[in-house]
Amino acid sequence: MTERLGRSAQYYLLGQLIKRDVLLRYRGAMFGVAWVFINPLIMLGIYAYVFGHIFQARWPQQGNGAPFWLVLYSGLIAFNIFSDTISRAPTAVKNYPNFVKKIIFPVEILPLVPLGAALVHAMFNVLILLAALAWAGQLNLQVILYPLMLLPLVLIALGLSWFLAAWGVFIKDMSQIVPPFVQMLMFVSPVLYPATAVPEAIRPLYRYNPLGSVIEACRSAALGQAINWSSWSIALVVGVIASGLGLAFFKHSREEFADAL
Amino acid sequence: MPSDDVAISVRDLTKTYRLFSHAGDRIKQFFTFGVKQYHRQFTALKDISFDIKKGETIGILGRNGSGKSTLLQLICGILKPTMGAVTTCGRISALLELGAGFNPEFTGRENVYFQGALMGFTQADMDDRFDDIAAFADIGEFIDQPVRTYSSGMFVRLAFAAMIHADADILVIDEALSVGDEAFQRKCFDKLQVYLEGNEKILLFVSHNVRQVERICSRAIWLEDGRVVQQGAASETCAAYQAKIHQQVHGRQESQKLLPTFADSGEIDVIGLQLFKDQGEEPVDEIEIHAALRIAVDFRCDSNLIEPDIIVGFHTIDSVFIAAASTAILPKQPDFPPGQHRVEVRIADLTLLPGVYQLRLGFLDRHFRPMWAGHKLSTFRITAPLGSNLVRLPPGLVDMPFEWRFTSLGT
Repeated sequence: MTERLGRSAQYYLLGQLIKRDVLLRYRGAMFGVAWVFINPLIMLGIYAYVFGHIFQARWPQQGNGAPFWLVLYSGLIAFNIFSDTISRAPTAVKNYPNFVKKIIFPVEILPLVPLGAALVHAMFNVLILLAALAWAGQLNLQVILYPLMLLPLVLIALGLSWFLAAWGVFIKDMSQIVPPFVQMLMFVSPVLYPATAVPEAIRPLYRYNPLGSVIEACRSAALGQAINWSSWSIALVVGVIASGLGLAFFKHSREEFADAL
Repeated sequence: MPSDDVAISVRDLTKTYRLFSHAGDRIKQFFTFGVKQYHRQFTALKDISFDIKKGETIGILGRNGSGKSTLLQLICGILKPTMGAVTTCGRISALLELGAGFNPEFTGRENVYFQGALMGFTQADMDDRFDDIAAFADIGEFIDQPVRTYSSGMFVRLAFAAMIHADADILVIDEALSVGDEAFQRKCFDKLQVYLEGNEKILLFVSHNVRQVERICSRAIWLEDGRVVQQGAASETCAAYQAKIHQQVHGRQESQKLLPTFADSGEIDVIGLQLFKDQGEEPVDEIEIHAALRIAVDFRCDSNLIEPDIIVGFHTIDSVFIAAASTAILPKQPDFPPGQHRVEVRIADLTLLPGVYQLRLGFLDRHFRPMWAGHKLSTFRITAPLGSNLVRLPPGLVDMPFEWRFTSLGT
């Protein structure tokens, strides 16, 4: 019965949900939707000031002279997609009991909404990144690979979203557990530092963090360095498996959503 | 195999829920893969079967927890049956509740378009319909205001308008039309009737209000504890359902008989409140319409009662006051010395329409100070004589003595 809506109608519905989600965040704000630009600019400004001027930080292999904040920013965009999505995933279904109980609705698209909204915000981030790259004289053609580099991360986030959204319905604690976990991921992944800065002894462990591979690949794409395709491909495989398992788990548990909400 | 004109076919439908007493039990259950049970089973519906043909309007009756909502959710495919099957043909209205997809932060217009998307309509489809929806909802400028600023009446108007214009083949209305003002309710029912004309659409109507079900449904299904108690013509099923409610309300009554529910100054003890047929000696709780009726009030007072007002009245079980007798209209109100007394009031022609009613009783002193007052004191049922054409009367409360006159005014 949930297949009542055709594919295209479902995509349209998902588009509407994402639009509502993004608009809702800025509704009533004085600057309105302009915040999608202002927010990342503020973030960029803070990083540029703190790391560029106060810490005078240098990326160890910062060969071709890109400023530290720009390197940081190009990886942070990717990580933010992941963290925004995952932090909101546990409530993606739980906050919409009507959609589960009162409406004939393809519930499996609900966890896609935080991801979609995060991607919309990421798009504006990337536009700012492009402008910043051009301003720093670092713009190169390879940056068009940036969206492709994100693909494994999007798939992993998707799989985790389905999984967390389903658990979030049954277990209220999920929305408390996830944020500190995401914070921890930020420090164990090479977001604020390159993977090469990790001590030799534990570096093999880093190869198993697909998030790290994606962030490194994104940085390489943005700054015109060689992309590590093999670790990126492993991340892609992990992503495909994660999203498949996540969807299967979600479909398995969705039958009981209505009683749990 | 259901025949062509069957639009909804329900076969041996059973739905069991797993009840977990603690959220953690659900996790334990998940990891034990069914080896051990951490939950109780709760059967919400048991072996339900029925067919609904195109063009039928079905009322679903039942108390809270009887399985009405579960049944609707199963028919809509929101829940999956534990056993049995539901097959439907035709587009089902996606909403079990009016305005379920509305987000209060968005405007009426945005919400209507979104609700369209829920029903599978594109932007262009909705552009075509929007003017009709706005015209029917008739909320003026508010259509471009956030829904959170709406009154509950405006909310229902817009939600109903959006639903009825979605052109579903199977319409589900769950307790929705109890909100909104009288005029809009009538407008909704008129619209529903127009919508249902042509014998193609189906209406599933859930309501506690038996009168509404009687009025718009051709057939009714009465559920209790997840089973079908009775199904058939709406008038018969509604009558049977009301009789059962009467019994239950009445049964509950015995224990708490004649406790004042509103006021009690302690000056009066009411001992009895009974109904008798015209000359009858035995108290009754079932009376035919248009019979003569006596209501007897037995009470005791310890001091002189000087010209009290005694009020005896009828109300429906949902506390709509219908009529009352009062000694205040007598030219000379009686006094009562200390002791036990019986007061009787007689009604020569009881015009209440068939249904379940209750009595209320009040004593006021000369200065209108309540001394004893109670509602829902005694429950009784008005029946229609077998074979009378009174059952064909439109729903209402009272059978007034109308007279018809037909005059030709020329051609």
